Amino acid sequence: MLRKTVEITNKLGMHARPATMIVKIATRFRSEFKIIKDNMEINGKSIMGVMTLAAEYGSKLELLVDGVDEEHLLNEISELFISKFGEE
Amino acid sequence: MKKIEVKEFYRTKQKDFLLSLVTEPETMERSIVSQYLSRPGLAFAGYFDQFDYKRIQILGEKEISFLQSQKSEELYRITQEIFTYDIPCFIVTKGLSVPEQMIFLANDLKIPIFVSRLTTEKLYDFLRKYLADIFAPSKTIHGTLVDVFGVGVLLTGKSGIGKSECALDLVERGRRLVTDDAVKMIAKDGKIFGKSAKNYGYFMEVRGIGLIDVAKMFGIHAVCQEKKIDVQIELMQWKDNMDYERIGLTENHVNILDMKIPIIYLPVSPGKNVSVIIEVVAMNYMLKSYGYDAAKEFTQKIQADIIRKSKK
Repeated sequence: MLRKTVEITNKLGMHARPATMIVKIATRFRSEFKIIKDNMEINGKSIMGVMTLAAEYGSKLELLVDGVDEEHLLNEISELFISKFGEE
Repeated sequence: MKKIEVKEFYRTKQKDFLLSLVTEPETMERSIVSQYLSRPGLAFAGYFDQFDYKRIQILGEKEISFLQSQKSEELYRITQEIFTYDIPCFIVTKGLSVPEQMIFLANDLKIPIFVSRLTTEKLYDFLRKYLADIFAPSKTIHGTLVDVFGVGVLLTGKSGIGKSECALDLVERGRRLVTDDAVKMIAKDGKIFGKSAKNYGYFMEVRGIGLIDVAKMFGIHAVCQEKKIDVQIELMQWKDNMDYERIGLTENHVNILDMKIPIIYLPVSPGKNVSVIIEVVAMNYMLKSYGYDAAKEFTQKIQADIIRKSKK
């Protein structure tokens, strides 16, 4: 199991488009993927879950991955946050 | 190019258009190739520029009274000239009587003349609708068409994916079958209508059983002759790394006979209840057409929440 804390750095926060990007990448992997924000823990492969976080600019999320391909999954997801989902 | 034999036209529409043939039956060896109508008044007056001779020629009260006012030789001469054109047929309206010379020449040159007891206006109306249907662009594809809560759903996908079984399940749940296997699509009034390619009834093949008659088995309420196609659902084998729609903010479309129809790519896997999902597609389509879009509604709430939090 791996853990990592990431920050939302795009101005618009995690709206529909970034949420879809996360879920689409996550569902390609077999590992379990959870995202924790404040006291909420959701399944990172569920679009409803990810959007319900309503993560705003500057907020911090904890990524939790567990499974055979956890490392790759965590890398790709972190990459997304670093690239600001291709936004500003 | 589409056409209809004059004989076929007379056989099928004789009653509706109150037609009677005044020339010999042999004159009907012609076909109608245009969906439009022509009033050949100017041609009878001797002006042949832009004479739409390929169209059905309608002779109303004006034309007939003009012809009757002509001297016998003159009428003969002009009729002869007009009859050199490849005209599908003449229809005289209001049950008016046709000049003898015209009938004589028409028999000679094998051009059919009908008399309709309808008024010119009525006949125009009926003929226009009839011809528009006949000449409407159409195309037959492999698929199944069902009426789900009044929404026309076209199911497509590879052979064996389960379109028929799905339609059967929907029928069982009280929805209606339009046609299975081959759907004839017709473009009319800016819409696409679908119906059975052949009028054999509501037969369906179920793998492992063979042919069944849906109308006989489930009753007449389980079937529908023709339905406007509102949405297409392409059933496809579930693949793990395929991008399926997750929110529904973007709408995909396909082009059917130059018309845009929304399409949904629906992954199916064994044990999944596809009929329920198809009903959901139909209901969601209805909600959207009433102005409610669940995907927009939900994402707007999230957006508002994000904005509220960032302002803190």
